[in-house]
Amino acid sequence: MSARPGKYLALIPVLAAYLGMFVFGRVQPDMWQLVAMLAFYCCLGQAFNLFLGMTGYVDFGYVAFVGVGTYGMALTLSRLSGVEGIGFGALVIGLLAAAGMSAMLSIAVGAVALRLRGAYFAIATIGVNEGFRYFIEGARIWNGSEGIIFSKDLRAIFGRETAIALSTFWADVFVIVIGASAAVVTLIYMRSKIGFALTALREDEDAAKVIGIFVTKYKIIAFITSAVFAGLLGATAWALKLTYVYPPDAFEIHYTVEAIIIVMLGGAGTLLGPVVGGLLYGLSKYWLAIILPGFQLLIFAPIILVIIVAFPEGTVGYLKKKVRGTALERYIV
Amino acid sequence: MRRSVWKVLFGVFSLVALVGLLLAGPAAALDKVVIGHPGALSGKYAKAGEQARGGIEAAVKWVNETRGGIEVDGRKVPLEYKNYDCESKKESVTSLIERLVTKDKVHAIFTPYSSGLTLAGAPIAEKYGIVYMDHGGASDKIFKQGFEYIVQTIGPGSKYHAGTLDMIKKADPTAKKVALAYEDSEFARSVMDGAKQHATELGFDIVFERTYPKGVTDLTPLLSALKATSPDIVIGGGHFEDGQLFNRQMADLDINVRAFSLIAAATLPAFYEALTYLAEGVMGPSHWEYGVTFDPDAAAKEGLQWIGPSQDEFVQLFKDALGKDMIPDYHAAEAGAAVLALVLGIEQAKSVDSDKVRAALGDMTFMSFYGSWKIDKTGKQIGHDMVDVQWQNGKRVIVWPAGARTAELYYPMPTFAEKAAGKKATK
Repeated sequence: MSARPGKYLALIPVLAAYLGMFVFGRVQPDMWQLVAMLAFYCCLGQAFNLFLGMTGYVDFGYVAFVGVGTYGMALTLSRLSGVEGIGFGALVIGLLAAAGMSAMLSIAVGAVALRLRGAYFAIATIGVNEGFRYFIEGARIWNGSEGIIFSKDLRAIFGRETAIALSTFWADVFVIVIGASAAVVTLIYMRSKIGFALTALREDEDAAKVIGIFVTKYKIIAFITSAVFAGLLGATAWALKLTYVYPPDAFEIHYTVEAIIIVMLGGAGTLLGPVVGGLLYGLSKYWLAIILPGFQLLIFAPIILVIIVAFPEGTVGYLKKKVRGTALERYIV
Repeated sequence: MRRSVWKVLFGVFSLVALVGLLLAGPAAALDKVVIGHPGALSGKYAKAGEQARGGIEAAVKWVNETRGGIEVDGRKVPLEYKNYDCESKKESVTSLIERLVTKDKVHAIFTPYSSGLTLAGAPIAEKYGIVYMDHGGASDKIFKQGFEYIVQTIGPGSKYHAGTLDMIKKADPTAKKVALAYEDSEFARSVMDGAKQHATELGFDIVFERTYPKGVTDLTPLLSALKATSPDIVIGGGHFEDGQLFNRQMADLDINVRAFSLIAAATLPAFYEALTYLAEGVMGPSHWEYGVTFDPDAAAKEGLQWIGPSQDEFVQLFKDALGKDMIPDYHAAEAGAAVLALVLGIEQAKSVDSDKVRAALGDMTFMSFYGSWKIDKTGKQIGHDMVDVQWQNGKRVIVWPAGARTAELYYPMPTFAEKAAGKKATK
């Protein structure tokens, strides 16, 4: 911050967006669940963008990290519900477990897949989520295909009212905080050696290697960070909020696709992009589901196509170009 | 520069907040009762979701047109149905339920299809303290969580084979050995756990139990092991594809048993179309099938009050609602029956207050075209009996329960050699 005072000004719009969601939800409490859904999409995009945006690598197995994080929290709550006076300690342990488990999975996947490039990386990760799901079901770990339903455990630990508040309010607040933290970390990376190395490797991996950048190391750093945020998102938005986890639901590739769409809509590699993409995606889905129940996807697909054709670099990517050279440049990153 | 950015942001927030406040209108006096439904109209449960929508619309139409509405405060008011599409996704369920409760001011929420989506919406229904009518979540575990507003109409997974086993016990007290082979999924497991428990209670021996993965393409190794235990009864399945494979490979390996029941697959017309004579005598449990004979007389015999359209009226209303010449399946029937339960609950509570309606539903019992209805204190359905169908001479007949059957059980099932020689499962 000392060297260049304007270095972190770009955080203002993105943090304002997260704060705005929170404030809107508080002012308009009967729309809090809408805010929760939007925050989920923004946070999913923000965490995914940390890796895809900075490296240009597409991880098709990304949802596995969200799923593993969900299991981290679900296992903690269901196993610790009998411990006397555990209280909010269970949440802390759950979040740590989620972060730890997704980090471990990302190290395992990254150690192998990150040695591959571009399309080969995408192919190598495509099966991670399905593979992990079949591992849980086939090996019958973590309750296998029956999943974990832990609403009663949440009640046993916190009591009925607090458990409901955790599921319908605090879980969403956590998601907003996680999304905002992912944005902060993204900017810190962008403004540090890690970001410069990743930009170099994104533009030309061979050239980056030649100038002496240990590309695998930086890729792994970005990969693990992104996975940890995904795990925390799972622990809150899926575990704490919905209080159940079934393997087919938690490892559904659909969510990876949604993350890609959100990042593309907003602009890959931009800081503000995932928030804009998440809001665009979430709001249009929500309104179309209300106005045209059953037909929204027919309308939604062409809208996405048009946006992506009109703004190939995403809406924020387009905006960034427009404000280049103006005073706004420092805010739109 | 920085100040102007803050001004703009402040302006945007105040505008958004203002619009939001203007949109929230005042509460109206009770001139209608509204059912809210974040239905699964698209996505992976779209088929069941369409059936549920048709079933609810059919029942709502019957209530308004034939019954003249729903009686609250001494006068009849119309019943309305408000539905959105959750795309079979858990993220959408919570936000749509909240909208239905706070903006559309509905008086009861109908769950989306599946146990997972039912669970996803439960915390938010509990938060708002609104009756949560479960017509598509069969898992028994939902009712062990301490939810206070959930009311189930679909029968719990654990009861699927209760009737099947009772019926066989009655038909053949010498049948002892039961083999279970089923898909490794949450649904099939809950069904088979129930079957295992009930079989043990009735004195059957479980001689074989094994699961196979979803999307299995060869069951030969499993069935060879099953054959070695020479069971009298085989119970299994999971979905349509594996059920069909199961039946075909039973024939390939010439595994002949006295009774054979498959979940999900055997009740579908496509099952017999695919397997033809190989499916003769095969049975399957279902929550409801077209052809059951529940009527006011059957209700009177059991001392239950009757409500709702006759089966044929329901089928016609269902076809009109969807604008398709389609026979409703159990997804439609249980959703329709849930509407009827709610109507009785509100009338008995003499209020639309969810606490009172939930209490009334807890004390209530009735019969409709769907069969009998009663819940325990957790909200789990305990009054509804599953029906069992059997393929007899290419026709799907109902053989259980006794009050609803259209034919006698054919027992034991013909052997595959007899079937190949042209023997049908009829007397």
